[in-house]
Amino acid sequence: MVGILIRMKLAVQRNSMTSQRAAQMIVGGLVGLALAAAVLLLASRDYPLASLRFDLLGAALAVWTAGWLLGPALFGGGDETLRPEHFAHYGLTPRALTAGLTAAAFVGVTPVVTLVAFTGLVVGAVSAGLGPGAIIVGVLSVPLQLIFSVLASRLVTAVFGQVMRSRLGAALAAFISAATLAALHSGWVLSPLVSATLNTGFPSGLATGMRILPSGWGLAAVEAAGRAEWPVALAALAALALLGTGCLYGWAVLMRRRLTTRRAHGRPAKVAADRWARGPVTAVAARELRTYTRDLHRFHLVCFAMGYALVFCMLPLAVGASLFLPWTGLLFALWMSAICANLYSDDGTELWGKIMISGAIGHDVRGRQVGWLLVTAPPTVILTIGLVFVSGQYEQWPWLAALVPAVLGGGAGVSVLVSVLRPVPLADPHRRSGNLLDNGTDFTQVLLMLVLTAATATPAFFAVRLGPTWAGPVAGVISGTALAWLLGRIAIARLHSTAPELLHYFRSGARPAHRNLQPVPARHHNHDVGLPRPDLGLQRLGLDLAPTGRRAYVVASLTLCWVPLVAQGVVPAIMLATGEANRSWFLALHLPEGLRWATIIAMIGIGLVLLTTGLATGLYYLVKSRRVGV
Amino acid sequence: MRSPTTVPGLRLDGLVKTLGGNRVVDHIELEVPSGSFFGLVGPNGAGKTTTLSMAVGLLRPDAGRAEIFGIDVWTDPVRAKTLIGVLPDGLAMPERLTGRELLRFTGLLRGMDRADVEDRAGQLLETLGLQAAERTLVMEYSTGMRKKIGLASALLHAPKLLVLDEPLEAVDPVSAATIREILKWFVGGGGTVVLSSHVMALVEDLCDHVAVINSGRVAAAGSLTGVRAGLSLEQRFVSLVGGPLPQVEELAWLAS
Repeated sequence: MVGILIRMKLAVQRNSMTSQRAAQMIVGGLVGLALAAAVLLLASRDYPLASLRFDLLGAALAVWTAGWLLGPALFGGGDETLRPEHFAHYGLTPRALTAGLTAAAFVGVTPVVTLVAFTGLVVGAVSAGLGPGAIIVGVLSVPLQLIFSVLASRLVTAVFGQVMRSRLGAALAAFISAATLAALHSGWVLSPLVSATLNTGFPSGLATGMRILPSGWGLAAVEAAGRAEWPVALAALAALALLGTGCLYGWAVLMRRRLTTRRAHGRPAKVAADRWARGPVTAVAARELRTYTRDLHRFHLVCFAMGYALVFCMLPLAVGASLFLPWTGLLFALWMSAICANLYSDDGTELWGKIMISGAIGHDVRGRQVGWLLVTAPPTVILTIGLVFVSGQYEQWPWLAALVPAVLGGGAGVSVLVSVLRPVPLADPHRRSGNLLDNGTDFTQVLLMLVLTAATATPAFFAVRLGPTWAGPVAGVISGTALAWLLGRIAIARLHSTAPELLHYFRSGARPAHRNLQPVPARHHNHDVGLPRPDLGLQRLGLDLAPTGRRAYVVASLTLCWVPLVAQGVVPAIMLATGEANRSWFLALHLPEGLRWATIIAMIGIGLVLLTTGLATGLYYLVKSRRVGV
Repeated sequence: MRSPTTVPGLRLDGLVKTLGGNRVVDHIELEVPSGSFFGLVGPNGAGKTTTLSMAVGLLRPDAGRAEIFGIDVWTDPVRAKTLIGVLPDGLAMPERLTGRELLRFTGLLRGMDRADVEDRAGQLLETLGLQAAERTLVMEYSTGMRKKIGLASALLHAPKLLVLDEPLEAVDPVSAATIREILKWFVGGGGTVVLSSHVMALVEDLCDHVAVINSGRVAAAGSLTGVRAGLSLEQRFVSLVGGPLPQVEELAWLAS
């Protein structure tokens, strides 16, 4: 049984191997091996502080294990080469099936690379001269640590598979991905903390914490063996083995559940009377509020916006910097706009209902704007006021009082306009699988929205910079109101003239270039024709037609442009302007005074060039892909 | 083509639609008499859905006109659309609303008075047997329930013309009976119904007028008796659009 499943997995992998997949596997394997070599280097090199060797090794093992646990849930489902469903109707006992799939789980490049990395436990014991006993314990702990990682990964992925379909799961997944992204973007502020740690050693709480986590149990066993505390070493190894067994049983239980249950239908929803919804616009706004709470996808995005704003602005608190804190609300509003650019495609072909009701289109656009503001404005205002008081940065008031109304109004306008002009078609809500990853985010659209929404704050920005104190808030309120009205008006006019074409786009996934030109094939019986909807991956990004070099450039430029633009440009500029300069890693601040502004301007220039060229190239291929994507 | 005595409920004049290089609808001309129960039949892919989408303003025709009680759907959509209720096939609805909320918000969006909407919604939910599901989200509804809530939504503003695309497809017999009764009652009260289907027995049972569409063209249209020409509707349909039957003897190994 075990042998058959392993051979079957290898056969499936061999048969599905294209040159692209083979290249991915080789590159992935080499990158993994390089990282594993880095772990071995950490374990073997000499340190000024003896404790650093195992502290750093513990940190590396914790990160490696976290990758096993969270990676599949964040980046797509885990190893599903052999799915338990394939064997559900065979006469196999659950135990036999679990054993077979467990053994097959260890076949692959990733477990082998992990095994290499975990031998750092043995290398560390040898390099530190802990003696033969510790080395033997190290040799025993390596496979146990690997078994735990692989099985815990299976268990956690299975748990995610169950809870991601709930609101709690959607929120959790959103916060984890938001925290990861925000930490990547603002993690540079922690660099002084990291360099201090490397000089003075890990704080004792952190060092202990890494050994309490299961990822550090092998390490704790090796260290205990080095101190000749044999009962502790054996207990740690036994606990690791026990935990691995526990994960196996947990996975088996969830697998049985996955095979024998399905999602309940017809669950009652919480119903409110909505006495305030008395006219067409308020009715749409009330419906939108329900969508934000009832639609997992929308709820997930709102949680993402909140998670990103909180982590990005609060992470610098770790080094005692509260500079970003008052801007949390504004960043939330900016992200809310960025993720709400598919208000119409999110409802899919339901657009037909608006087309069929006379006058409904105008009410619908305005109602959606009101709904967006009802969800976005209260947290934005509360976070802004609250965190200004908490951080005591009252000098930021003129900026915030101008930019908050400007961005709220601008966001309410830009989100509906882009929803009409440049939506990304999504599967109809009732045809979605419940897996949030099915409707991945369109990277280019999000960036476009961030840039456009930020641009709506330009009048308020210059009013604060150049005008008297009262000018900023006044300009913010006026420009916010005007843009919300004007952009909404354009969206309404556009919908009035092209709503049937937009509906056709949502049905077929292909946009007619002009209303009177021949559109691409529609589905006449949408239940029997598979639709060419852009999905995850290159096609969703619109990069499927781009040559490899351009594709790499778009991804690299849009990912990296923020470093020169924000981290080396805008932030040191604010520091220089406010006089709160902290050199940290800011290149400009390390240079002589005469070169500082020139460097900042050059950095912003480089960032803008990367951003605009990346965006332009991405949009070019996106349009091309959507035109051809039939 | 039948000459109407009054303004037709629906008149299609030379509708054309080409999709992906295929002429899906090819100069369709139809008149649906006011107060009639009109069946549009045709094989899969005949162009029924495309025709009805153009007739109600959901898909822009390449050529031709569609009039509802004499009002052009594409040049005066506001007036035309207040007269019709539509039940499309397979399109989404406001999926994250409960049945009652869907009716409430649809009514308010139509500019109806809130109390009036609540009254009508309650009656429609009761008549269609959806009270038990009024706290369930539409996306959780079964196919039959989706058709019924769609019909309720189409009826809410008391339209004069109902356009229904495959209203009974994949619907259980009990729900189907309910829908049929409501439609008969609607026509009895002076309303006009146009429904598309490829189930001949259903059309024969319900409709007094029928049009057979094949390959985007009208193969026959008129009163039910006129189109049947002494045959059953199914026999007549097969004679108009049918092809040769397949040779199944090759699958002899299937016999047990």
